[in-house]
Amino acid sequence: MAGKSGRTISATPENVWKKQIFSWEGILVVIFLAVIVLCKLLSPNYTFVNVLREMPKYLTEIFLLFPMAYILMLGEIDISVGSIVCLSATAGCLISNAGVPFGAAAVLTLLVGAACGAVNGLILVKFPELPSMIITLGTQIVFRGIAEIVLGSGGSVSPTNMDGYRMIAGKIGPFPYIFFLVIISAVIFAVVSAKMKYGRSLYAIGSNRRTAFYSGIRVNKVIFIAYTLMGLFAGIAGLFLTSATYAANTTTGKGFEMDAIAMAVFGGIATTGGKGRMVGGVISAFIIICLRIGLGQINMNSQLILVIIGILLICAVLLPNITGSLRLKKRD
Amino acid sequence: MKKKLLSALLCVAMSATLFAGCGNGGTPANNDANEPSSSAGADAGDSADDAGAGTDDSASGGKTYAMVTKSAGNPYNEKEAEGFKEVIEANGGTAIIQHPEAATADAQVSVIQSLISQGVDSISVAANDANALQAALEEAMAAGIKVSAVDSATNAASRMTFANQAGTKEIGQTLMDAVYDISGGSGQWAIVSATSQATNQNAWIDAMKEIMESDSKYADLELVSIEYGDDVPEKSTTVTQALLTNYPDLKVICAPTTVGIAAAAKVLQDQGSSCKLTGLGLPSEMAAYIGDGDSFSCPYMFLWNPIDVGRLSAYISLALVNGDINGATGDTFEAGDMGSYTVVDAADGGTEVILGPPFKFDPSNINEWKDIY
Repeated sequence: MAGKSGRTISATPENVWKKQIFSWEGILVVIFLAVIVLCKLLSPNYTFVNVLREMPKYLTEIFLLFPMAYILMLGEIDISVGSIVCLSATAGCLISNAGVPFGAAAVLTLLVGAACGAVNGLILVKFPELPSMIITLGTQIVFRGIAEIVLGSGGSVSPTNMDGYRMIAGKIGPFPYIFFLVIISAVIFAVVSAKMKYGRSLYAIGSNRRTAFYSGIRVNKVIFIAYTLMGLFAGIAGLFLTSATYAANTTTGKGFEMDAIAMAVFGGIATTGGKGRMVGGVISAFIIICLRIGLGQINMNSQLILVIIGILLICAVLLPNITGSLRLKKRD
Repeated sequence: MKKKLLSALLCVAMSATLFAGCGNGGTPANNDANEPSSSAGADAGDSADDAGAGTDDSASGGKTYAMVTKSAGNPYNEKEAEGFKEVIEANGGTAIIQHPEAATADAQVSVIQSLISQGVDSISVAANDANALQAALEEAMAAGIKVSAVDSATNAASRMTFANQAGTKEIGQTLMDAVYDISGGSGQWAIVSATSQATNQNAWIDAMKEIMESDSKYADLELVSIEYGDDVPEKSTTVTQALLTNYPDLKVICAPTTVGIAAAAKVLQDQGSSCKLTGLGLPSEMAAYIGDGDSFSCPYMFLWNPIDVGRLSAYISLALVNGDINGATGDTFEAGDMGSYTVVDAADGGTEVILGPPFKFDPSNINEWKDIY
């Protein structure tokens, strides 16, 4: 990066450039652009307006990505979020049908989500020897089970007064409100994980929990907060999903946890913990969403779309490993 | 720190390209949409919508009629889609059949949103949840797309009309009479349904319950359980086995779903159970189980012709798009060789078009039907 004056400052900045371009996030940006171009070529309806219009339902999943990335950075996992989305959306509809004004019902929806997340966090903190996969598998069944019991054989509830839900599904120009909320959350989550004490302790715990503990990081507190955040954002996702469907049912949010994990892993956030950046997760989320919208518009078989995303995911996990081992060999 | 700055710059560049790229592509498409809309038809009154960008394609090359099924690999839905496609193509239209990635309303929302972007002229949807498609379907109707339900209804607010395979009451009565007949008029019976929120399943089950309670003829029949096999063969098998274990005196299982009845038929026949089966099933899948005598698990069952359901839905879509009907009670339209149909009031406050009473499949006719569907 020679300055305007023509002086070459040093060799290091050039190195940073290279590093940046060949970093996973750099590759993701290239993939993202390729996806946009590809979809544009495939579908004449792949316009800015249409993509934004189709986006809100998919964007609800990005809310799950943010805290999921934190949990993965910790080296933990949470597969109960789809069920939390279901339970909080159900609770939200029922509370609003009980005559509670929309604002209060929305806040209670988020609280139900946060409470579910806190339950996960509490169990994990109290019984650190239990794997998070198993605990959240259990709560996944429990949370959805509660929703199924409440919903009964009808299996579906829709808010009788939809005004509030219609309002949050509103738009500024072509941009749905949820889009701005996602961007703001993305910036906050990225800054916290990159700069703040809390974010750095996520990486420390994910790299080596014992070292982190002896370095004075309050491991339990960090884990508890991450899981409660996860629940809270699952509540937000539930709220916005209700606004995109006007109902909650027993299958609401099914499979969302896997979508969120896929977005994070594709973004270079390793499930082993301590690695990856929020930026990568967000870019990869938009890659997956744009690809789904584009391939959906040419009426590609939806199972085939899932297969393509699955293959992309495997490649995404393989690629850094291959390049990583190559780099190690070079250094040797 | 420079690394962070660079990544931020890259992100800005990326989003700028996204905006610029799409903006360039989007503008001409929007202009195109305005041009042909003047010639394409005065009926497209509200085409000046967000989603109007795609309408130009359909206006030039015939109309496009879409059908959204409940899930991929549902044989019943596939037959409906076949009938739908046949009629649409015979009338010079283009048929799009889309299966959602999972049997959930969430997945159907994505498919519907995509169809709005494509600017199709009509959408027929077999709803996985009556309520959860409302936001997407309202948006479709606001964009000028004619929305009707087929097979499994959406709520009244999210459709113009509904192609109902048979009146809910007729089905409830037929199935109740079958249970009465097979059980000999008394004893325990159970239901194996699809998912707990499948609109049509619940309507039929409610109708059966109502009929059972309203007539003293059925007083000796005891409905012991309603199980949900979720239209997944494995789960339907499991719930059937559980029923046999929990209720050894069970006389009849009624499965008003094609997946459930096939799974239950296999369980009962393999175990040589004395419990018999009836319900709604596909002849091709059930032929091996329908017969007289104890070695067969199903004496007889019912279904309407799913190909005809799809064809009826196609004629409804055609009539809606042509402006012959708008889904109001009393509207009549011609459905080719199927004759003339009238839109009637539905129990949920909306309107529907009823295909006809269910058809009985028994040992005398199963062999001729099993090759058809």
